[in-house]
Amino acid sequence: MSQGGYRRPHRWAWWMERPGYMRFMIRELTSFFMAGYLVVFLVTLSKVGAGDAAFAEWVDALSGPGWVAAHVVALLAAVWHAVTFFGAVPQAMPIFLGERRLSAPIAMIVMGYGPWLTVSAVVVWWILR
Amino acid sequence: MSKEQALESAEHAGSGVRGAASPEATAERTITLELFRYHPETDSEPRFQSYEVPYNEDWVVLDAINWIKDHVDGTVTHRWSCRMGVCGSCGMMVNGEPVLTCAAFLKSYFPFAVRVEPLVNFPVERDLVVSMDGFMEKLEAVKPYMIRDDVNDTSGGEFRQSPAELAKYKQFSMCINCMLCYAACPVVGHEEEFLGPAALALGHRYNKDSRDQGFAERMDVMLSDEAMWGCTFVGECSVVCPKHVDPAGAIQQAKAMGAQEYFKRFVMPKGAGA
Repeated sequence: MSQGGYRRPHRWAWWMERPGYMRFMIRELTSFFMAGYLVVFLVTLSKVGAGDAAFAEWVDALSGPGWVAAHVVALLAAVWHAVTFFGAVPQAMPIFLGERRLSAPIAMIVMGYGPWLTVSAVVVWWILR
Repeated sequence: MSKEQALESAEHAGSGVRGAASPEATAERTITLELFRYHPETDSEPRFQSYEVPYNEDWVVLDAINWIKDHVDGTVTHRWSCRMGVCGSCGMMVNGEPVLTCAAFLKSYFPFAVRVEPLVNFPVERDLVVSMDGFMEKLEAVKPYMIRDDVNDTSGGEFRQSPAELAKYKQFSMCINCMLCYAACPVVGHEEEFLGPAALALGHRYNKDSRDQGFAERMDVMLSDEAMWGCTFVGECSVVCPKHVDPAGAIQQAKAMGAQEYFKRFVMPKGAGA
């Protein structure tokens, strides 16, 4: 599909040209923080298997300000990723009632925020019961 | 052209420009248009040329370009036709934003200069005109037409469809091929072979049409690496679309259908196909 004509130079800073591009890059970068958190989580599981003393030592290490800050950043990244994910739901999974399409805010509640809050409430109840 | 010359010329502006004929409508102020110029027979590199244009708040950018071509510089080359957001011919970059110039009012930019360039992510043929060859090939690639064995058999009457079935794809059929979505898509800019938003949305439009039976045939193209899996869902194609087609949404829906089709073909290599 090659075409003739003048080709403008490649724009290496394309992601700074539009706010939407920047939001896209931030959304993609959140995956690094979530992957980092997953590594910490896997190490935590391995400490559980290593015995009470190893687990307590690991939990003690995690209570340091650096680790707490890292977890806060990972949480913010995860929340932002979830928000963008739920925002995409109405586009990716339209719901039709006959010939009428469910509006985006309703679709986000029905297929995103609603189940999310429900599952979160169940988890919180299960932990605090 | 000086400001005085521009104003004097505006008094004689012809009927080709809306709202330009009467002296009463003649603007007292001017606005600067910086046009991207590139003539392949004389220019090795593009350049920008500034023009003073009478400012009329009823004018759109296309009116201003037409005025330049009619009254100042006949060598300026651009595409346009309907002047009302239907034909999709006049898409250009205005201050870095892909827009239909027939829908971009000068008053949105006044008093600042307006920089007009050909749509990015396309080779430039001349001035503000880009090559559409690759785009047309991509549109053709998704087989954007009704596929069924009896498509020419009208003995049973028309192929009927309910309003609910129409609603499933109507939005995606509103595309006017203005190519703004290609200019907004960074994947198109990086991967020349990527089919791109409009073509993929058009393919999905036919896949969602209850009268069509070409899903499997069309999926042979849409499941390829340079088709829908190339989309990273930046989503700006839908933001700039003047017809609210939402190509980004179409592609994500196509991915869901494509994933099902992929696994169906994996499980049943010879018997898959909707």
